[in-house]
Amino acid sequence: MTVNVSKIYLLDVATDGSVEAELRDAIEQAQLDDWQTKWRPALLTTLQELVRKGVPFDQWPQSWHWDWSKKTARVQGLLAFRGFSIVAQGETQGLAQVDLTKAAREANQRGKPLVYLEYLEVAPWNRPDLGNAPRLRGVGTALITAAVALSEDEGFKGRLGLHSLPQADNFYRKIGMTDLGQDAAYQNLRYFEMTSEQARAFFEKEENDET
Amino acid sequence: MKLERSKEWWMARARREGDAVIGAGLLAFDPVPEERPTATAQTAAVEETRIAFGKFVNLMRRRRGFSMERLAEVADLDASELLVIEDDIHYVPEPRTVFKLAQTFEVSQRRLMQLAGLAAANDAGFRQEAVRFAARSEAVHKLTPEENSALEAFVAVLSEQDPKRVK
Repeated sequence: MTVNVSKIYLLDVATDGSVEAELRDAIEQAQLDDWQTKWRPALLTTLQELVRKGVPFDQWPQSWHWDWSKKTARVQGLLAFRGFSIVAQGETQGLAQVDLTKAAREANQRGKPLVYLEYLEVAPWNRPDLGNAPRLRGVGTALITAAVALSEDEGFKGRLGLHSLPQADNFYRKIGMTDLGQDAAYQNLRYFEMTSEQARAFFEKEENDET
Repeated sequence: MKLERSKEWWMARARREGDAVIGAGLLAFDPVPEERPTATAQTAAVEETRIAFGKFVNLMRRRRGFSMERLAEVADLDASELLVIEDDIHYVPEPRTVFKLAQTFEVSQRRLMQLAGLAAANDAGFRQEAVRFAARSEAVHKLTPEENSALEAFVAVLSEQDPKRVK
C-alpha cells in the first residue's frame, strides 16, 4: 500500500510558531505503537489526576464508556481500515478513520455517498479539555480537511458525515456543518453533515480572512 | 490523495481552531478507569467518616514523628497517596492501602475500612465517634495533650471488635 504524505503545518501553542507535520493517508503500525506507548499512558496519567482532584463524575472531560482493553483492541484494528494520521516532532499527533460506504441523511443530499468519519482523536497532549496547556493546535482541523479532500477525490464533492463527541459540537457548528440532531442509534451523539457548498467554504477559505 | 496548500493557509486554520475540543466517534471516548465506580452522590455520612479517616492517619503519623515519606516506607505504601488521603476528603483510598495502614497503626481492619468509606458500618455509634473525633482533632503542630487524648479515645473505638463479640 502506498502511503501519500502531505506536508502541513501546525501551531506550536507555547511559541506561537509553526511546526512542520506530515499528513499521511493511512494509519500504520507506527501510529498504533504511538497510541499504545504514548497516548494511552499520557491519557491515563491525566485521568488519574482528575480523579484524585475529586472532579465530580459529570464534569469529566468525556463520557466514559470504554475500558482500555476494548479500545486497545479496536485501535489495533484500525490497521484494517482507511484512515489518516498526523505525525509531527516524531510522534503521532492525531488519528482518523473513515468509512466510504455511508450515505447522506441531510435533506438536500439524502442518499448521496459521503465520507463518514468513524473516528477522530487528537493526542492527549494536544487536547485543551484535559487541564494542561495543549502543545499543538490545528490537528483536528487538519484531519477534517483531509477527510473533505478525500471526499472530493472520491467524487463525493466534499460531503462529510460524523458523530460528534459532546465537547466538540460547537466546533462542528462553527465550521459550518449541519446539525442533524442527536442520534438515538449512536448513544445520542449529535450527527453532523457537511454539504458540498459547506465543504467548498471550509476548504477554500482565504488565509487572510482573520477576525 | 495529496493536499497542497501554503504554510500560511495551514497556520491560519490552526489559529482559527482556538481552544476547540475536536473529536468524533465512540472510539474517541476516554475509557472508564480501572477502579471501583465513584459514587455519583456521596452521602454526607461517608464524607464525614472519611474526614475522620484522613485526620486519623494524619495524627497517627505525627504522633510517631513520621513524615509522609517515612510512613509510606514503613507501611509499604505510595507517599503521594498518603498526601491525598490526608488532604482530600473526596479521595477514596485503595483497599490495600487501608489494610496496610490498619496493620501499621495496629487497629481493626474492618473498622478502618468502614472509616475510609470502603465498607458499611452497621452501627450509628461508630459514625458518631468518627465525627466527634474529627471535630475534636484540629491539627496544629505536634499533638497537643487534647489531640493526644482524642486520639487515644478513638484508637480504642477503632480497636473494638464486632459489637456482638465479647473479649
